Amino acid sequence: MDDYDKTCLESALVGVCNIVQQEWGGAIPCQVVLVTDGCLGIGRGSLRHSLATQNQRSESNRFPLPFPFPSKLYVMCMANLEELQSTDSLECLERLIDLNNGEGQIFTIDGPLCLKNVQSMFGKLIDLAYTPFHAVLKCGHLTADVQVFPRPEPFVIDEEIDPIPKVINTDLEIVGFIDIADISSPPVLSRHLVLPIALNKEGDEVGTGITDDNEDENSANQIAGKIPNFCVLLHGSLKVEGMVAIVQLGPEWHGMLYSQADSKKKSNLMMSLFEPGPEPLPWLGKMAQLGPISDAKENPYGEDDNKSPFPLQPKNKRSYAQNVTVWIKPSGLQTDVQKILRNARKLPEKTQTFYKELNRLRKAALAFGFLDLLKGVADMLERECTLLPDTAHPDAAFQLTHAAQQLKLASTGTSEYAAYDHNITPLHTDFSGSSTERM
Amino acid sequence: MKIFSESHKTVFVVDHCPYMAESCRQHVEFDMLVKNRTQGIIPLAPISKSLWTCSVESSMEYCRIMYDIFPFRKLVNFIVSDSGAHVLNSWTQEDQNLQELMAALATVGPPNPRADPECCSVLHGLVAAVETLCKITEYQHEARTLLMENAERVGNRGRIICITNAKSDSHVRMLEDCVQETIHEHNKLAANSDHLMQIQKCELVLIHTYPVGEDSLVSDRPKKELSPVLTSEVHSVRAGRHLATKLNVLVQQHFDLASTTITNIPMKEEQHANTSANYDVELLHHKDAHVDFLRSGDTHSGGSSREGSFKETVTLKWCTPRTNSIELHYCTGAYRISPVDVNSRPSSCLTNFLLNGRSVLLEQPRKSGSKVISHMLSSHGGEIFLHVLSSSRSILEDPPSISEGCGGRVTDYRITDFGEFMRENRLTPFLDPRYKIDASLEIPLERAKDQLEKHTRYWPMIISQTTIFNMQAVVPLASVIVKESLTEEDVLNCQKTIYNLVDMERKNDPLPISTVGTRGKGPKRDEQYRIMWNELETLVRAHVSNSEKHQRVLECLMACRSKPPEEEERKKRGRKREDREDKAEQAVKEHGPEKPRPDSDRLKGILERGKEDLAEAEVIKDSPDSPEPPNKKPLVEMDEPPHMEKSKGPMSLLSLWSNRINTANSRKHQEFAGRLNSVNNRAELYQHLKEENGEEVGLTGGPRTSIPFLKCSHSPVVNRMETTENGKASRQ
Repeated sequence: MDDYDKTCLESALVGVCNIVQQEWGGAIPCQVVLVTDGCLGIGRGSLRHSLATQNQRSESNRFPLPFPFPSKLYVMCMANLEELQSTDSLECLERLIDLNNGEGQIFTIDGPLCLKNVQSMFGKLIDLAYTPFHAVLKCGHLTADVQVFPRPEPFVIDEEIDPIPKVINTDLEIVGFIDIADISSPPVLSRHLVLPIALNKEGDEVGTGITDDNEDENSANQIAGKIPNFCVLLHGSLKVEGMVAIVQLGPEWHGMLYSQADSKKKSNLMMSLFEPGPEPLPWLGKMAQLGPISDAKENPYGEDDNKSPFPLQPKNKRSYAQNVTVWIKPSGLQTDVQKILRNARKLPEKTQTFYKELNRLRKAALAFGFLDLLKGVADMLERECTLLPDTAHPDAAFQLTHAAQQLKLASTGTSEYAAYDHNITPLHTDFSGSSTERM
Repeated sequence: MKIFSESHKTVFVVDHCPYMAESCRQHVEFDMLVKNRTQGIIPLAPISKSLWTCSVESSMEYCRIMYDIFPFRKLVNFIVSDSGAHVLNSWTQEDQNLQELMAALATVGPPNPRADPECCSVLHGLVAAVETLCKITEYQHEARTLLMENAERVGNRGRIICITNAKSDSHVRMLEDCVQETIHEHNKLAANSDHLMQIQKCELVLIHTYPVGEDSLVSDRPKKELSPVLTSEVHSVRAGRHLATKLNVLVQQHFDLASTTITNIPMKEEQHANTSANYDVELLHHKDAHVDFLRSGDTHSGGSSREGSFKETVTLKWCTPRTNSIELHYCTGAYRISPVDVNSRPSSCLTNFLLNGRSVLLEQPRKSGSKVISHMLSSHGGEIFLHVLSSSRSILEDPPSISEGCGGRVTDYRITDFGEFMRENRLTPFLDPRYKIDASLEIPLERAKDQLEKHTRYWPMIISQTTIFNMQAVVPLASVIVKESLTEEDVLNCQKTIYNLVDMERKNDPLPISTVGTRGKGPKRDEQYRIMWNELETLVRAHVSNSEKHQRVLECLMACRSKPPEEEERKKRGRKREDREDKAEQAVKEHGPEKPRPDSDRLKGILERGKEDLAEAEVIKDSPDSPEPPNKKPLVEMDEPPHMEKSKGPMSLLSLWSNRINTANSRKHQEFAGRLNSVNNRAELYQHLKEENGEEVGLTGGPRTSIPFLKCSHSPVVNRMETTENGKASRQ
């Protein structure tokens, strides 16, 4: 039955699921508000039926909860608690919240069903789910009252070690600035608009709660527009300089403020939250270790602003940056042998490269216990020696013989020549003085 | 995600018994003869790797991928087993790299085929593996210390990967039983130890490997729970390439990896520099980089099954970077990568390109034919990351522009100056620990906050709010005064700046006073200078507590600056009563009760006044037509002698002289209270009658704390009456 003339909460939830994913993807938090009269439908497609068959689904018709995106499910019942409790409706609805990993809440009407009570129920939802997040943005003594939108979500770093969700401070303290090139498109948990707000005399934000008369608000806004605001200054300079401000959101939690252009004319101050922790971005190092450039012996950005202390280099290089030896595929081994051979034929010009490649192969063969390879390459070098043309430099023959001999010694696996840190060095010959290296 | 999951600790146990020296019977041609030199030469016979070589190089490849993608918090302990267990490294982070492991393996060397097989066994290694799993890692220790009473939340799980050549299924069961028993024993030991941890969960992965062409004597078995602590799985794998493939599959399973193939990478051909061909490169990374594909079930995104890999690879298309412009992309995740085939030419071409600092956007081909940029490859400090870019619709679409909000209609923000401020407050890493004077550790980030605090003590946001920051002549002072400490040279430069300003004032040079919002010409020249000096004073005063040298700059400023005295008077009268008690108290606190120094008291007063003057300056600017206060006659200040030596401002010789005499005299004796409080040398009697609070005078006796309207002044009585009212008004 695809008719939409009967209560079928599951299809509604599936619909929500698809729409949200198509539109927003799977990463954006979404509040789903389900308005119902508390009746769950009848027969197939009813919520009771859905819940009963919930465990017998295949991957293709999976029950839509939990939603495949961060979500809160709010169920607004147009019925009071007693009515719902008289049947099992409430239980079923509670199951829905449970299925959504407990994310959400059920609202019911207090008292009889009338406009006022419905309004009050939705008022509660607004208070719970749509309260704006107000904060004070600080940069030393420069401050601005701001609203952060959307509300930053609490974050759990490790459910086992630290299961308490972290919430961001209402004091957003700028700790310093970094060039956009240095911060380099960092991964963020979420991003938020930072909107400056005006405070009225009592210290309450203008425009919270029930909206005032529009005209009043406009004139208040116009006055606020003319009062210098730190957010606007910060935004302008971040935009012009191509920088971001690093902002502290809590203990070991940071984020960045930057200018985000929506179009050529419109742009805004945005804040992105990094993952909480002492070192959210490896290329900046530990956040606590970032200090003012004036403490450094010399300006790390250079006198002409032509260098940067970032990115930080890790202690150990990754495999792709350190010329590791991998012989899993025969081609890997063949390439390495070929390199030695190529350089062998250009002795003595390529003496240094020849020995460098030879030693690389030697080390790997010793580590892998692949001593047959050392013997094989030794044989190969000896053969190369016999194949040298008459025009060859006399040093070439000496070096090839020497290298072959050294490999053979290493291939016994027992002598000092088989030590990993031992390197085969070029043989000193009467000719070697003239064999300058041209790498 | 759990930090201390099974993949926090991996123990490799590789069998080093004589039978592992056996050939894997898969030949490798290593003597590839180059054409046109090959006539008449027979290539050398192919060689083959031993079971040991295959096992070691496959496990090294496992470690390579793991270290590339998780350089921290994922640790390997490598154990080799023959007649005993050889533990090649420890859990410490320094031991966690390929070079260390390779060097250690080289010292072990290949198994000795002539050793006595009876006394060799992989069991030694398995026992050692359990033992090592009980040992605490740096990360576990750190977390436990941090959690204090919640230390038990830190888990101890691990995985043992054992590569051996087993004789039969029952042999495998014997190995499993042994591990289970050992865990049981060691957990008992660990329970009574502070530096050992009980194993909560152990995954045993037994890999039976045998020469190609032989029949396996051991059957595969999927993961099975042997006890609440131990699970075990058995893989029977042919040696050679097959073993390497198996370990590649396992590393992906164990560390939640996924594969992405970058396609259409244009590369120049070595031989033909003008032509380029397109290559594909397969990368491994954490599977969260595919989270959007997984969540939306968008499997039609070019996924294709590849031979040998257990999972699909997602194909993303290379987008040749056009510009080098620096952009801040909205990136929801960044994951380290490891090339599957690290030394192949296409792989190293790609990684070198990235390591040289270029970033590449990757396009996700969609069924509909539309193109979406979904990822970016970029290196940071020699590490390559796959960035996930948000490609879905933003919920922050079409937000109001900042110019429409608070402060949006102000047009003269000091954007350039704040840009300069931001550059000065850029951050840099301080890797070596620094210590404060009290030997406590100094946190660089706290230093950064301190600096911001100092730099913003006086920082007007808009051009029309400031004079001094619009003056090139002030820069040498303004740029150094914010510093925590000054050098002698800095002080000298500040003094020079002040002298220079005095000189400008003498020459009557124009000042860049804003006339925004004013009618007419704006304030007169001397008024302009007064505003400027007041502002400069506010700036310097904001930093006077930094150091004694800052104090010297202020002293110089105070000595040099011009002050229309009646202005001072007027301000003081208004202010004094409020501050009196407070200040007297502070003066006592600071300098001891026996020796009250009027100086510091005065400085505080001037600081206050500076602010007031500034506030007033704005008022004047806003309404230039408002009448000046009537009491405009110059007053001689008896109680505030400026520093004679440095006075350079416009001061009359008479005032200099009388100041000097007065100062000299005042040191010699306690001034008679009546004279101190006199007006035109006439002291008012019964003045307490006019006080609302009679205590005030008694408390604050002394030259500085006279009642405002009783100041030594030449002003007529009419004015006195007026200021009395002022005085009262300001007291309310």
